Amino acid sequence: MHALEARHAPVVSLWVWYNVGGRNEVPGTTGMSHFLEHMLFKGTPKHPKGDLDKLLARYGALWNAFTSEDVTCYFETVPAERYPVALELEADRMRNALITVEETEAERNVIVSEREGLENDPSFLLGEQLQAVAFARHPYAQGVIGSKEEIKQMTRDGLYAHYRRHYAPNNAYFIVAGDAPAEELLDRAANAFGPLDAEVPIEPPKAPEPPQYGEKRVIVRRAGGALPIIQIGHKAPRASDPRAAALSALAVALGGATAGGGEAASGRSSRLYRALVDTGLATSVDASFNLMKDPYLFVAEAHLGQGVTHDRVERVILDEMDKIARTALTDEEFGRVRRQMLSASAFMTDTVTWRAFRFGQLLGTGAATSLGEWYDRLAAVTADDVRAAAESVFQEKGRVVGWFVPEAS
Amino acid sequence: MDVRRHRLDNGLRIAVVPIPGLLSAAVLLAIEAGQWFEPAGRPGIGRLCALAMLRGTTTRDAKTWGDALDAIGAAARLDVGSHAATFSAQSLGSDLDVLLELMADAVVRPAFADKEVELVRQQTVAQIEEDAKNTRAVAESAWRELVYPKGHPFRARPIGDLEVVRGASADDLREHHRRAIRPDGAVLVVAGGVDATQVFDAGAKAFSSWRAGGPREQRKVPETRLVTAVRKLEIVPDKTQSDVVLGWPGLPRTDPRFVAARVTNMVFAADTFASRAGHVVRDELGLAYYVFSTIGSSRGQSPWVVRMGVNPINVERAVSTTLDELRKIVEGKVAEEDLELAQDKLVGELDVARESPAGVASLLLEGELFELGPDYAERYPRELRAVKLEQVVEMARTFLPPDRYGLAIAGPPLPERD
Repeated sequence: MHALEARHAPVVSLWVWYNVGGRNEVPGTTGMSHFLEHMLFKGTPKHPKGDLDKLLARYGALWNAFTSEDVTCYFETVPAERYPVALELEADRMRNALITVEETEAERNVIVSEREGLENDPSFLLGEQLQAVAFARHPYAQGVIGSKEEIKQMTRDGLYAHYRRHYAPNNAYFIVAGDAPAEELLDRAANAFGPLDAEVPIEPPKAPEPPQYGEKRVIVRRAGGALPIIQIGHKAPRASDPRAAALSALAVALGGATAGGGEAASGRSSRLYRALVDTGLATSVDASFNLMKDPYLFVAEAHLGQGVTHDRVERVILDEMDKIARTALTDEEFGRVRRQMLSASAFMTDTVTWRAFRFGQLLGTGAATSLGEWYDRLAAVTADDVRAAAESVFQEKGRVVGWFVPEAS
Repeated sequence: MDVRRHRLDNGLRIAVVPIPGLLSAAVLLAIEAGQWFEPAGRPGIGRLCALAMLRGTTTRDAKTWGDALDAIGAAARLDVGSHAATFSAQSLGSDLDVLLELMADAVVRPAFADKEVELVRQQTVAQIEEDAKNTRAVAESAWRELVYPKGHPFRARPIGDLEVVRGASADDLREHHRRAIRPDGAVLVVAGGVDATQVFDAGAKAFSSWRAGGPREQRKVPETRLVTAVRKLEIVPDKTQSDVVLGWPGLPRTDPRFVAARVTNMVFAADTFASRAGHVVRDELGLAYYVFSTIGSSRGQSPWVVRMGVNPINVERAVSTTLDELRKIVEGKVAEEDLELAQDKLVGELDVARESPAGVASLLLEGELFELGPDYAERYPRELRAVKLEQVVEMARTFLPPDRYGLAIAGPPLPERD
């Protein structure tokens, strides 16, 4: 359990992170962690469905949950005096969730609907395929939400077993940030979670990704989009790798700290914005390096302009990647990158909810043990670190290229 | 909240909330240049003008302006909505003077170079064509065309009509800029790690040269009323989910009943846990992944709509369930407990929004923009609490008649209806 003081507003944000996500699933059960996340909102014997939910709604709470490849996470940001209620909710549902057959059936429709909503988005469709092709053995290939067929087959008993196995204090960590002394925030949390029993320890999944020996390609053809999309992924190291901070800077250098296109005014000095959006070859660009527990992907994405071919944009992106891997950024350009990265870090920690999230993300992925440590690592990155990180990651043998090709209706 | 205010000679109003202990500041510059202020027959000219303002000024070309913004690490965007064009940004507090100068450069001195206007036009045309395959955008467009008559400012989405975007020249954008991008009616709200005097000085330095281009032209917009239920299904190929928009023309933010309308919206469908339809459709019956209602805030009848993402097989049931819940409100079958829950939720959200500089700036913006009074931030929670059950019923009867609505559905074909 970790606490951070944030005294500028009378709120508390608490986050419970479970070490279970898409990477803990096997074929046939893909999407189980995400399905389970939905079921944690269906009440417990002590607090039936709607009981604490309505109370939190009454307090104006910002509260939700998400599942990623690595974790499942629940959070509440509440007026400071309501902290005990949110703690009660999280401690209770850590071990006592009611997962009934009836609620499982009702929620199955919601999750299928969520999946179908994602399928309406060509960028999601392409990203899902890119991920599936990129990983031959590692469960990151499976994504998070699962296939529609497996969602339809998920059983209440399977979900409950997954719950009992993974939802226990020894497989979770707790972050709280807010308007109270850190010791007080921790004491209260200890009182709430302390009485809960631990489970048998869980071994992390052991399916390391074998080396890749050449570029992989995937094409998605659907009628559901008007504009072509290209995504280029490169195998990238895990968050705990010494290159992680430099790779974060590399993503800013290529795509800006905020994704560029349309209404966004910032990030326009980035390499890909200049090469693709300013020239009319693309309408928007993005580059991302995600902090993950295991080696994942550095992904660049562009939505192509009208009449522009995939080939052409792919060449431009790869040229830019090649340039940034060969020659270090100039002092002026690196100064902009550094400033965007460090400012974005300050923006995040000036919001109580995101301060707690960021801390949890750094801890959970092994990127750093404190916000300060991560900031220092970002601040210590040099222009040559960025070049070297690009050189190590932008290799043909670790590349996967995805095209979304719109079909005529 | 400790709100400090200042007004420049050109009419620009500045409101500042210093928040000790923070490094950054959130900035909102809202200009009354949204759809409501577009010339009749030119939907989309406002957004096109705003995007072109980000593509170079008379003192800096697009590249130099973009470099300067990124050099301070600011995050910024410019959006056009029903009422305002809003420049929203965040920077370190120590960089605020540079940020305001760059924002002012774009707002006051845009160059509208032909090459840059053409680039923005291409981007916008591409977006409109992409939106034609996006079920949410298609449902939204279809709903607006069902509900608002031709010539109404809200008949199109802010992105506008393809013909207007294709035909707009750089001179058209200059003329729109001269007429609509003006300091009178505009507000600059800043919250975060700043000193109020520093903001007033920096704001004056950046924006004092901004002048209104002649008197504001008033656009006459007749009242919109639905006389029956109208419905449209748009088939979008190769999609699996239907997006649904069910709604009514709302009421101006300046209407004294608006706060009661906002409470009614929360009682009805704004939230999954605090609202009747949201709870039944999403949580009890599992009919939709998302369902929520919003009420727009402008000088006109902005959309008051429920939006849902639903499997095609569940569309009819989700819509009829939502209307059933609305009928209960209209018939007075709504409990004090429902009202209290809605009021608590709306008031509680105000407290939680204070967690971030952007949240504080947003809290302040509405009161400043619509000139709801210097005590608005303190008064507003009391006004929410003062709404009575009878007012909720009356608002629903007046503005949300369950037999006169617009319903737009976009996605795959629906199963045959009985």
